[in-house]
Amino acid sequence: MLRTSTTTVRNSTRLVRSFATVVDSTSGVKVAAIDNGQPTSAVTFLVKAGSRFENKPGVAHALKNFAFKSTNTRSALGTVRESELHGGVLTSSLSREHLALTAEFLRGDEECFVDVLASFITGARFARHELNELVLPVVEADSIAASNDPATKALEVAHTIAFRHGLGASLFAVQHPSFTIDDIKAFAASAFSSGNIAVIGTGIDQAKLSKLVEKSLGKIPSSSSAAASSTKYYGGQTRVESSSPLQTVFIGFGTTGAPLSDLAALASHISPESHVKWSKGISPISEATPAGTSVQAVYLPYSDATLLGVLIQGENAADVKTAAQAAVKVLKSRVSETDAKKAVAKAKFRAASEADSRDGVVSLLGNKIFSGADASVEAALSSFDAISSSSISSAASTLLKAKPTYVVVGDIAALPYADELGL
Amino acid sequence: MPIFGPLGPSLAGYVRSSKTLSSWLKPISLWYANLAGYRRIGLRYDDLLVEERDDVQKALGRLSTREAYDRAFRIKQASQASITHQDLPKDKWVTVSEDKRYLKPYVLEVAKEDLERQKWDNLTVSRHR
Repeated sequence: MLRTSTTTVRNSTRLVRSFATVVDSTSGVKVAAIDNGQPTSAVTFLVKAGSRFENKPGVAHALKNFAFKSTNTRSALGTVRESELHGGVLTSSLSREHLALTAEFLRGDEECFVDVLASFITGARFARHELNELVLPVVEADSIAASNDPATKALEVAHTIAFRHGLGASLFAVQHPSFTIDDIKAFAASAFSSGNIAVIGTGIDQAKLSKLVEKSLGKIPSSSSAAASSTKYYGGQTRVESSSPLQTVFIGFGTTGAPLSDLAALASHISPESHVKWSKGISPISEATPAGTSVQAVYLPYSDATLLGVLIQGENAADVKTAAQAAVKVLKSRVSETDAKKAVAKAKFRAASEADSRDGVVSLLGNKIFSGADASVEAALSSFDAISSSSISSAASTLLKAKPTYVVVGDIAALPYADELGL
Repeated sequence: MPIFGPLGPSLAGYVRSSKTLSSWLKPISLWYANLAGYRRIGLRYDDLLVEERDDVQKALGRLSTREAYDRAFRIKQASQASITHQDLPKDKWVTVSEDKRYLKPYVLEVAKEDLERQKWDNLTVSRHR
């Protein structure tokens, strides 16, 4: 009795793996899978079709909303009804670098859902009437929602100022976009080729996923990975008038090159987020922040650049100014030994807990899978071990040498200028 | 080719499939279409489709900008000709080659979508094990 139970435990631990193995399938598509033994599976087709690669402003946003519309094998309605019958969930999401098409489903349905995802890659119809009837209304609603949210607006503008082209391209189309169906077709044709696609599975066996991908993406045009124009950091400041009740200030700094773990630690050092409920926290920023004003650290790593900063929001412009001054002071001060240890632990925990979620795995490992680096959660976490207070301080001082990216959204007459905050 | 389509019952498919029948009936159909007179006031056959239907309305929405503009122009021109009780000058009549079914493919597509929705709505599900 005892013996059988120990062998079962051993077998189950053998099955459970916390790292993804990246395999180049013969079609050239990279396939990685993590199986933690959970009852559901998810497959994400990660395509290098983010807004930095788009041929016309807003095309990537339209392509994202074209996902799961009619293809050569299924109609838009058929896709939805079929996945409903299987109890699966289909989502598409867009970042500045990647378009992620995800299907979550019960174990055993992988054949159907990999086929649904692959049929969009290999045989999307891109019908003109679907653009007008189904896609554009959603694109427009997305854009309106984004432009009404001051935080999103501030980050969009900040990216444009910080990187201008490439990463500076907005995630959202303008409200009356000028692209046509042919622009979307051309963008999809250039993006949907073997070097631009990585398939990431969670809760699914690597060999099984590779076989399914091989079957469905076998005839995809082969290409090398799309090379984005190299990113350069500019910085600058701008003020955007908005009638939103939330006064918003974004102070950011950017660097180019692969993102450093030191910057992630620096971001968690600035973050005044409280560790317990109903408490303001002990960070110097949160002590100086007036009630009703929030300060969040923003850490956005990309494959060849990082944008790090703080987003301050509040209803009163004077309070926002006070909080922003405190945040700038913390940004510019030296990081002590204890603070560094705390920040590293916080950043490492954050990365580790991100790896627990499905979206987190994709965002943590996505770039590594494309670049062919060691795509395991362990490798991503071990980079935090070498960080010391001096390495954080040196990373911070090189970061702060660059010109700041300063964006104000709201009542531009009352909100502070960059020099008033000591930038 | 089904007899009952979204555009009403039609034997055209059956006639077209038979060589003898089409060689007999084609001259008659051309004569009839000319006699109907819509070409003399600058209309195409698809301008006469009953448009007070949801599927045809949807199909009209799918016309390209150019096709929609041309359709509106033809209908306006025909209304004017109808008011003045006069045909257009002969050089403006629609010829047989110009009388294309520009709307029919869209109507058929919409009908196909409606049929598919009906199919999914009335599906009985059984899972294969």
